[in-house]
Amino acid sequence: MTPGSSKWLSGRGKAIAPYVFILPPLAYLAVFMFWPLARQMWLSLTDTRLTNPNGGSFVGLENYQWLFDDPEFYTTLNVTVLYAAVTVVLGVALGTISALAINRPFPGRPLARAIMLFGWAVPNVAASLIWLWMYNERSGVFNDMLASLGLDRVSWLTSTHMAFSSIVAVTVWQVAPFVMLVVLAALQSVPDEVREAARVDGADALSVFRAVTLPHILPSLQLVSLLVAVWSIRRFDIIYLLTGGGPIGSTSTLVVKIRQTAFESHELGVASAYGAIGLILALLVAFVHFVTDRRRQKWMAQ
Amino acid sequence: MFTRARRSFLTGAAALIATAATAMTLNASHAQEPVTLVIANSQWVDALRGKNLWNAVQQYQKAAPNVTLVQEAIPSAEFADKITTEMAAGQGPDIAMMQDGLFYTAADAGFLVDIGKAVEGVENLNATNDHGVVNGKRLGIAWQRAVYALIYNKPLVDKAGAKVPVNVDELIASSQAVHQATGAIGFISRHQVSDLTGFFMDFQNWAYGYGVNWVDSDGKLTIDTPEAVAAVTAFKKMYDARIIPVGDDFPTQRTRFKEAQVSFGIDNSGGTLNIASGAALAPGDLAAAPLPFQHPGAHQQIFLGVSTHSKHQEAAIDFLAWLVGPEGQAALREASGPDALATDVPVTEAFQAANPWAETFAELAKDSRSTLIPGYEVQTTQIMRVVMEAVERVLVADDDPQAALTRAQRKIDAKRF
Repeated sequence: MTPGSSKWLSGRGKAIAPYVFILPPLAYLAVFMFWPLARQMWLSLTDTRLTNPNGGSFVGLENYQWLFDDPEFYTTLNVTVLYAAVTVVLGVALGTISALAINRPFPGRPLARAIMLFGWAVPNVAASLIWLWMYNERSGVFNDMLASLGLDRVSWLTSTHMAFSSIVAVTVWQVAPFVMLVVLAALQSVPDEVREAARVDGADALSVFRAVTLPHILPSLQLVSLLVAVWSIRRFDIIYLLTGGGPIGSTSTLVVKIRQTAFESHELGVASAYGAIGLILALLVAFVHFVTDRRRQKWMAQ
Repeated sequence: MFTRARRSFLTGAAALIATAATAMTLNASHAQEPVTLVIANSQWVDALRGKNLWNAVQQYQKAAPNVTLVQEAIPSAEFADKITTEMAAGQGPDIAMMQDGLFYTAADAGFLVDIGKAVEGVENLNATNDHGVVNGKRLGIAWQRAVYALIYNKPLVDKAGAKVPVNVDELIASSQAVHQATGAIGFISRHQVSDLTGFFMDFQNWAYGYGVNWVDSDGKLTIDTPEAVAAVTAFKKMYDARIIPVGDDFPTQRTRFKEAQVSFGIDNSGGTLNIASGAALAPGDLAAAPLPFQHPGAHQQIFLGVSTHSKHQEAAIDFLAWLVGPEGQAALREASGPDALATDVPVTEAFQAANPWAETFAELAKDSRSTLIPGYEVQTTQIMRVVMEAVERVLVADDDPQAALTRAQRKIDAKRF
């Protein structure tokens, strides 16, 4: 091998190396994500039934037409959007406040941090079953507490005006510790000297937070909001175990509806159309994240 | 002539011997060939009853030592979803014990093979098997039929001096009386659409009890009839009386009954056997009475079917033939409590003496009805979802029963089942 050819190979190798590294994850995504996704999109254009998954015929946009004509679809969409929005706002707010509280050293901080992480560490199914018992109307701990205060028992999961709030509470309890962890990591990267300089310049605690801390943690907050929003659109276990989408559809999100349509009515085509709407919703959230991120970067550059 | 006749005779005899020999060889090899049959049933996970039922079917291994039976235990809440998905994917068990709704879905989808050979020569098959014949083919054999009755905790009811109710007003009054006297829960009942299948099957007792048919004489679905309005109104009255533990799922309510914390309930014979087995409430303290309605109630039926995807269909049919025979039925009787079986096998005297409640179930089984809507067996769950959502609106949002059922009727008409 001549020095020239070795140089050529080295140059060629450098050019190929990124593709070699990117190929395995791309192949993984193609097999486990893009192909099933493409298959789902195709199913949404067919009248496929669960009992004959390979026997559907092409029906065009008929399933979407059926969805858009069904008033229940709009209820489901409203519940999904509201659930995702409230979970993001409350989960991110609570997680951020917890991170700020735990950022400074104080006696017992490791223990407090471990306790605050509990919601994230417990598997969703186990946590949901525990919450189910705590919400129990007859013997749940919440109603026992209310009763001991002389108040009426509350139908936490069986009344239309409480069920939604009850599942949001469980979700926020589960999501906030994750937000706390992410924000805590971001907070610990804020340089102390910048904060100190702001304080020397006479800034109060709120001003320091607004002018120094917030810009530092904003990218993390944005990212975690995106993740929480997408997870909320996809969340099934907590809702299904606590209310099954009821009462009267008050907690029925797109994912709960997918299960019902696919396994009760056996209409895989319509269920796939519900899935496609969920995907569009998640992409919409990602788009909003992308736009606001670009704006933030421009604002930071100015 | 004689020679020709003799030749024909000899040829025929040789053919007969050859056929018999082949058949014997096949049977011998079939009998000795090790076979594993996977049997899916939600009851395998039931405490005590599951074990007893499994021990009963395992007795087949004495008759066919080359056959190994393997459980596929799936909790009832997931059973239909899992079996449908497995069978649709060309997989799943060799034999499945299916609620009638799932059985008709599987039959409609072509997942079940003709098992007529299993009942050839069985002359004492009873009426529980009638609906196992679909489009002229026997696709199912009755495993168990569990009829519904009103059950109650006798010591609690006696202590409160309450009467055994014969109508809904008395049910409410007696439940409240026992609660006030003993602190026990008055009544247990499914009441949430999140448990759709169980809720609609249990609710059929109220519907049938008030004379509902869900279809008219022309086979048209009729949801908003005066009888249905009366049934929903009565159920709402019971719900508003706060005699049931609102929010509890039914397994929890049954457990409370087992622990002697409940006075009355409407449950099927299988569930009642579960309540009476191995807990604080002694079987002798459990009593049963006719449902507190004017008309007869419902029953749940479980069918046995053999999957088209089974690689051992012949062996599965042989197993079913044993099961409907005297040996299999006797083994199953011991573990099935008062449930009706494929043939009329009376419960043992020992069981009857230990479980005095069982006799009422046997009596009620004479005129009970399927939970499925006649002519709409495959679509019953979808139809009943619309109905039960209307019921839920009445219960939770105080919707008017007539208005809620009229909307349900419109919705069902629009769906054109």
